[in-house]
Amino acid sequence: MAMPSPPRQETMAPHERMGAIMMGQKPDRVPFSPFIFGFCAKNVGLPVSTVYEDAEKSFFAQLRTAEMYGYDGAPLYGYASYGGWEFGGDIKMPRSRWEQAPVVAHYPVESEEDVDRLELPDVERAGSLPISMTFSRLQEKFGMPITVQLVGVVTLVGELCSVDRMCRWMIKRPELVHKLMRKAVDHLVDVAKLWVDTFPVERMQPFVGDATSANQVISPKQFEEFALPYQKEVHEKVLDMGVMSMFNHICGEQNLNLPFWRQIPHGRDGVPGILSFGHEVDLTTAIEMFGEDNIIAGNVEPRLIQNGTPEEVFAACVACLEKGKQAPNYRYMLMAGCEVPVEAPPYNLFTMRKAVMEHGFYD
Amino acid sequence: MSALQERQELLHHIRDAVVDYDEEVTVELCSNAIQVGLDAYDVVANGLALGMEEVGQLYEQKEYFVPEVLMCSDAFYAGLQHLKPHIRSDAATGSGQVIIGTVEGDVHDIGKNLVKLMLEAAGFVVHDLGKDVPLDKFVQEQQRTGADIIALSALMTTSMLAIPVVIEKMRAVNPNVKILIGGAPVSQESVDLYGADGYAETAARAVDEARRLLDLPYQE
Repeated sequence: MAMPSPPRQETMAPHERMGAIMMGQKPDRVPFSPFIFGFCAKNVGLPVSTVYEDAEKSFFAQLRTAEMYGYDGAPLYGYASYGGWEFGGDIKMPRSRWEQAPVVAHYPVESEEDVDRLELPDVERAGSLPISMTFSRLQEKFGMPITVQLVGVVTLVGELCSVDRMCRWMIKRPELVHKLMRKAVDHLVDVAKLWVDTFPVERMQPFVGDATSANQVISPKQFEEFALPYQKEVHEKVLDMGVMSMFNHICGEQNLNLPFWRQIPHGRDGVPGILSFGHEVDLTTAIEMFGEDNIIAGNVEPRLIQNGTPEEVFAACVACLEKGKQAPNYRYMLMAGCEVPVEAPPYNLFTMRKAVMEHGFYD
Repeated sequence: MSALQERQELLHHIRDAVVDYDEEVTVELCSNAIQVGLDAYDVVANGLALGMEEVGQLYEQKEYFVPEVLMCSDAFYAGLQHLKPHIRSDAATGSGQVIIGTVEGDVHDIGKNLVKLMLEAAGFVVHDLGKDVPLDKFVQEQQRTGADIIALSALMTTSMLAIPVVIEKMRAVNPNVKILIGGAPVSQESVDLYGADGYAETAARAVDEARRLLDLPYQE
């Protein structure tokens, strides 16, 4: 039996590695940023809710988990049900054994009349924004990218009025959805402006997660009508503020929407955005469509990370690495296709790192 | 036009009204059907339900998405509501009873509601426990109703871990109850992993899977 080859030595620190791929320069290996929240809280002995409701504990839980597993991704604050709380509804933090993220418990829009009544929130005080601000101050202090959450417009509107109500209105009262989209854009731009006024703009990398626009929910035609113009406006306005790069998690089955996502700018002046994809989108397709101008991240299936054997996780990571390393200008990083499950076996997360160390180096 | 032709035409229009998600026309046609003396159960089974079957196919083919399916479901239920008082008590569906719910810790219920709709359209009696359902409630409800199938939905990787707990609890009380599972993170592999009996990737396929579990004939 052949002796295993000795492990390759890393020659870059995480921030140097991430910096290299942002500049289109060759890193020592593919960066590994798992996309991980609740797991980190649990990892350091805290309730899962901590990662969403206590900025300081969340930040250090993520920092320590990165230290432990040796990955490159920096701490990130956000959750998919953003919007309901901020616009005056109620949020329910994950408390029970089976919960993994906050959910809206009471929507601010429950009737057609509520749409016109809905007011833009005070971005200094509303919902999770003060937590997000404290988190960003820590990101600034520790020299990390400042990643304010600017959730996708369809996801946000779904959290304002409930996804099923939004879906029905898309067909029978489209003007109401357009009104909510308008308010969503104005709010997201307000948030971005507060951050730009508070932090060095060159350090900012807003985080846009968009799950509800997936084709498991809406059609590409509905994406084109209700998402594209508004999502594009958010990105254009944020980039016009001087932000150079945005991090977009394009969640779920989005294959039919990809031509529209391509019309949305994610970076400017040659600086790439980061686009992370769910396992439903083939990485090679993502690279072909977006890889010239963006860093592609992804896309190990979360279910596999939770339920798969280490061998299966390793093989899935290697498959991603083989495709990802074909990206132009080294612009690829290994990531889960969505959040690393809270209950994932720790060894499976370690296995992702192991795969990068064995198959992620560039010759 | 013969009575048979009139029946066929009316049922065809009802089916189309559901597919076109036209709630008003669906109710109007159901009302006409009762007025001309059609059997209410016949109208449900061969009008409304066939409409939903076509909707399921359109969803599978990515012609329809959740917004369209929800609108169709509104038309279906509006028609059903109108017909229900006219359905004879001896018009047994012969399908089976299903308890359905999204497991504890998970508030996502659009997919679960679509499965419920498809099962009802196919003639199953469905007891909907809603979302974020305490795990013991599935077992209690099965014992209360004697349902043949428990259908469990989960959209999150964390909440899907509640599925095997329900299965274990149910098997301890009644090992013969069939367990059908679904939801974004759930797969065919989960059936073996969790000891379930069936899995359906989409709402439309849930009907076929439920029929398979109960050895009921497939419908063309």
